[in-house]
Amino acid sequence: MIDGLVRILIFQGIGEVIAKFAVPLVPGPVSGLVLLLAFLAWRGGVPEGVEQVSAAFMRYLGVLFVPAAVGVVLFWPQLQQQALAIAVALVVSVIATIAASALLAKLLAREGPDAP
Amino acid sequence: MRPDLPAIQEIWVYLSGSPLLALILTLAAYQAGVMIYERTKLNPLANPVLIAVALIAFALVALDMPYATYFEGAQFVHFLLGTATVSLAVPIYRGLPSLRGRMLPVLAALLGGGITSIVSAVLLARLLGADEAVVGGMISKSLTAPIAMGVAERIGASPTLTAVFTVTTGILGAALARFVLDAVRCRAWWQRGFAIGVAAHGIGTSRAFSVHPEAGAYAGLAMGLHGVFGAILIPGAISALR
Repeated sequence: MIDGLVRILIFQGIGEVIAKFAVPLVPGPVSGLVLLLAFLAWRGGVPEGVEQVSAAFMRYLGVLFVPAAVGVVLFWPQLQQQALAIAVALVVSVIATIAASALLAKLLAREGPDAP
Repeated sequence: MRPDLPAIQEIWVYLSGSPLLALILTLAAYQAGVMIYERTKLNPLANPVLIAVALIAFALVALDMPYATYFEGAQFVHFLLGTATVSLAVPIYRGLPSLRGRMLPVLAALLGGGITSIVSAVLLARLLGADEAVVGGMISKSLTAPIAMGVAERIGASPTLTAVFTVTTGILGAALARFVLDAVRCRAWWQRGFAIGVAAHGIGTSRAFSVHPEAGAYAGLAMGLHGVFGAILIPGAISALR
C-alpha cells in the first residue's frame, strides 16, 4: 500500500509544481490526476498499491472536506440573511442541471448509432 | 483536591492547544454521521458530512473554541484532499470503457449540464440579492467537493462556502433526481446515472449505485469527467470574463 501512496504523492507533487510554474489556473492535484490517468492508460492497468490507496480515499472521501466545511460557522450570519436566495438558487440550479444533462444525453443518443 | 494533581483547566488548556482534540472531534463527528446515515438506510438527507459539520459547529460553540484553532488541528485531514483528488484517476480510468459509442451524448450532457449548473445558480443568486461571496461559492458547486474547493481557490471564491454549497447540491440532487428524470422522460439507466453524476457528484453517485449498477457506473464517470473538465475550463473562463 505504501508503494501506491508514494506513486500518488509523486503525481500530486508533479501536479503542484505544474500549478506553481506552468499552468497556475488549474489546481495542482487536478494536473496530478490527469497525469496519473495518462500513466494508467499507458501502463494498461492499475498497480495494486495505487488501487488500494484509491479505494480507501474513495470510501472516506467525505471526512476529508469536513474541516473546511466547518468554516461555515464564520459565515453563519451572512448565510442566515441570504437563506432564501441561496435555497432557491441551489434547488432550481440542481433541477435545471439534471434536466439539461439528461435531455442532451437522450436527444443525442437517439440520433447516434447507440439508439435504443 | 490534592495539590499535586493538575486542575481540570490545566488539562483542558493543554489538550485544546494540541492538534489531537480537533482530530478526535473531526473523526468522531464523522463516525457519528456515518452511523446515523446507515441507521436511516442511506437516506441522502442524513448525509454524514452535513451531520459531522453540524456536530462540530455545535461543539466549537459549546467549547468556545475559535475556528482557526480547530482548523490548526484538523488541517492534517484537510491536507489529504489533494492526494484524494489525484487518486480519483483510478475510478475515472475504470469508467473510460463505458464511453465507447457514447462519446457524443456523454460530452454534450457534460458540457450542457456544467454550463447550466453555473449560469442558473449565479444568475438566480444575483437576482435574489445574494452578495458576491455567496455567488462565488456557487460557481463550482456541481464538481466533486475536493476539486470544487481547489477551483474556488483559483477563482478567488471561498473554499468553505463552496464546500457547503457543494455538499448541499449533492444532497438535493440525490433526493430530487428521480422526479426530475421522470418528468423529462429519461429512461435509459446510463443516461439517468450520467445526469445525476454531472449535477450531484459523489453524493448523487452513491445514490445512483443504490438504484442500479449501470446508473452508478455512469454517475461515477460523470463525476470524474465533470471534475477534470470543470477544473480545466472554469478558472480560464472566469478569468477571461473578468
